[in-house]
Amino acid sequence: MADGALLLLQAAADSTRAYGDFPVIGARAFVWITAEVHLMFAAFVLGVPMFAVVTEAIGIFGGDERYDRLSKEFTRLLLVAYSATAIWGAMLVFGLSTLYPRFWAYLTAIFAPSMWVYAALFFVESFTLYLYYYGWDRWKKGRAKLGHWTLGILLNVWGTVVMFIANSWLTYMMSPPRDITPTTDPTTIKLWHAIANATWMPINVHRVIANVVFGGAIVGAYASYRFLAAKSDEERAHYDWMGYVGNFIAMSALIVLPFAGYWLGREIYQYDQSMGITMMGGFMSWLWVIQAFLIAVLFLTGNYYLWIGMGRIPGAERFRPYTKWLLIILVLGAIVWGTPHTMIADSKELAAMGGSHHPLLGALGVMSAKNTAVNLMILTTFLSFLLYRRANTRPVVPWARTGTIIQGAMFAIAAGIVLFYGIRGYFVEAIVRIGFSVYQVLAVLACIVCVTVIDILMARGAQSLGAIRWGKMPPRSQYALFILAVTFTWLMGLMGFARSGIRQYWHVWQVMQDTSKYAATPALGYASKMISLCVLIFLCLVAFVFWIGGLAEKSTFVASGAGNEAAGKGARHVGH
Amino acid sequence: MWATNLKIVGVVLGTLALYTLIANEIPQVQSEVPQTLTLGANVTPEQLVAAGEKVFNGIGGCTTCHGLGTRAPNLLTDEKGTGQIGVRCGKREPGKSCKQYLFESLDNPTAYVVPGYQPIMPVMTKQLSPEQVWAVIAFLESQGGTVDVTASDIPATSTTSSTSTTGGGGGGGGLAGGSTDPKAIIQAAGCLACHKLDGQGQVIAPDLTHVGARRSAESIRKKILDPASSIAKGYEKLAGIMPKTFGAMLNAAQLEALAQYLAAHK
Repeated sequence: MADGALLLLQAAADSTRAYGDFPVIGARAFVWITAEVHLMFAAFVLGVPMFAVVTEAIGIFGGDERYDRLSKEFTRLLLVAYSATAIWGAMLVFGLSTLYPRFWAYLTAIFAPSMWVYAALFFVESFTLYLYYYGWDRWKKGRAKLGHWTLGILLNVWGTVVMFIANSWLTYMMSPPRDITPTTDPTTIKLWHAIANATWMPINVHRVIANVVFGGAIVGAYASYRFLAAKSDEERAHYDWMGYVGNFIAMSALIVLPFAGYWLGREIYQYDQSMGITMMGGFMSWLWVIQAFLIAVLFLTGNYYLWIGMGRIPGAERFRPYTKWLLIILVLGAIVWGTPHTMIADSKELAAMGGSHHPLLGALGVMSAKNTAVNLMILTTFLSFLLYRRANTRPVVPWARTGTIIQGAMFAIAAGIVLFYGIRGYFVEAIVRIGFSVYQVLAVLACIVCVTVIDILMARGAQSLGAIRWGKMPPRSQYALFILAVTFTWLMGLMGFARSGIRQYWHVWQVMQDTSKYAATPALGYASKMISLCVLIFLCLVAFVFWIGGLAEKSTFVASGAGNEAAGKGARHVGH
Repeated sequence: MWATNLKIVGVVLGTLALYTLIANEIPQVQSEVPQTLTLGANVTPEQLVAAGEKVFNGIGGCTTCHGLGTRAPNLLTDEKGTGQIGVRCGKREPGKSCKQYLFESLDNPTAYVVPGYQPIMPVMTKQLSPEQVWAVIAFLESQGGTVDVTASDIPATSTTSSTSTTGGGGGGGGLAGGSTDPKAIIQAAGCLACHKLDGQGQVIAPDLTHVGARRSAESIRKKILDPASSIAKGYEKLAGIMPKTFGAMLNAAQLEALAQYLAAHK
């Protein structure tokens, strides 16, 4: 750096107003709330179009118009949600530029060109959405319909690129390239060098999957509300089916989300071990116990919804006795996963405990046990789906018995591999043990893929044991969908806190220090209150979006004599 | 429908309340901002030990791995029959005193990995201020040994820190009270903890006695600001050891004085 530039930078650093403050709640809380709620809406407007374009495709290629109407119903909600996303985004930008001006100037010095691209793409995305929604009834048939569907795909492409751009800003804060120092003039940093930082792609992948989960969960909550408010059996059947579809999508994507999270965690460790240790073993160690509790709630509630749903499927009573065993595995898995391992504690607390690990539970808190537990929970949830899927059918292919035996053997082999490496992990070095988790994950994924392929082939021409009685669900099943939506949203807030909090008192890790009065990273108690507040604001606004959407246009549900049957037929495309 | 709405609100609020309650029931640990630890010239061993214990149990994050557990060597009680850290530290490396060994193991942890453990420890001289580092050393010596850290150790061998609450962003008045005397800067920045210059200092990093013959002032300036920009031949394995925070600690005049001084060492 030239001497003059260095002097100028230092002079600017010394004289520019670095921080502002916000009345009553303070600068940090203001930025926290605006960023969090903006992010939740952003996830909503990115997740739901994925859902919409898939259901529209099912409608086009499957010939079932119900899917088309479902897709339109959600796109209508997007219009209002887009405005909310933009408003909260603008509040965030104003917050950053007025409350953290020096930091904001630093970021814009590096990322200004990408910010203009971001704004331009947001325009393009918005106009694509308008065309997609308002052209729905105009481009309804033939090639025009395919063109309309292409608009839906483009909507997803623009949205994903917009997200990737924003992700580069926040991942740069976490993991700036190593050659960038506190004295590096930000205007000299190459844009792509800053964008392609160590955690950018893992966050991109993680967020794409998480948005699918989130979109599915919100769709499920919307459907459950409409189910509870339904005035006829047909309407109830329609929204019961919609809730099932939303939950199916959310849970399916949730199964692969931990693997993306694992990749992100590994990249963080590789980038900076001290950051990784802060995250997993430092002041944030208790956060993972809370996360484990939330994941346990998700798995248990998701499975519970499926098990209740079996009550509306003729033939499902064959599988009901198995559910208690599935429940036992899930509960045991959740307990092991939630067992604390390395807790930050002072010397007196450690001495009182007799070590940094509990003498009895310490053995369950290590990664060998936790990875084993979570993989078995994923296998169990997949088995629940499989039983649900097969509930009202009896395969007629001649090799049905052999196929079922092979499927059973695949489950047994996958569980055996998971257990084998879980136990063996106690007897090897940590570096070898970490590698074992890859084998466990591969065994589970291979089982899921192979068993699904066999099941699809085996279901050809299967004998039906009766139509699914859509709508014949007790109200408690719908409250389960609400719990899932709230928990997914809360979990998103918690993980956001973890990702952002591991930077501790740095705006940009080891490059730009936070010297404001809010530099300390708060404890989980405070963070949980902030998260709950953000979730509440988001849910209230989403409820408003749903309500206003209902005012603008009535539900796309159309009563028909074949309501249950049509819904039943439709569900085959996703879960059946 | 009102009853249903109320039930939904109840489920949502109940779920949020449950998660908030659980998160508030667990131990609350806030990540503190490292404060500049000011130790006067007359600091006593007891004051150093007390300050060090606070750092060890707090912002140092040492207990995460070094408590009584198995992730890293036990620093508070006996470690596999070798005694407490204050007893065994002087025997770990032949010819190195206890405080010398402890400082170097904080400054360059990967060079002193105890057999059976992984090289996971971060460079603590990058995380903590020199005062904090020496306070921790005093605390560790007090675990079964004799505390011989004094105030004179701190400016003499400290390497670096970016943890002052007023640092960051390229500002600051500079080390050594802003002095432009290169020798004062070198002493305050702790360059000699790794480099040798005019017969003084360590040989962990390249000897700077004739650095001017190898590098121009511009190259030296760049190397100080961005240590990863070039690595001296034969020292590739030590890449990343040199702190990249000197740019934040020196003012422009100091940086220029230091670069010119070293460039003159032909």
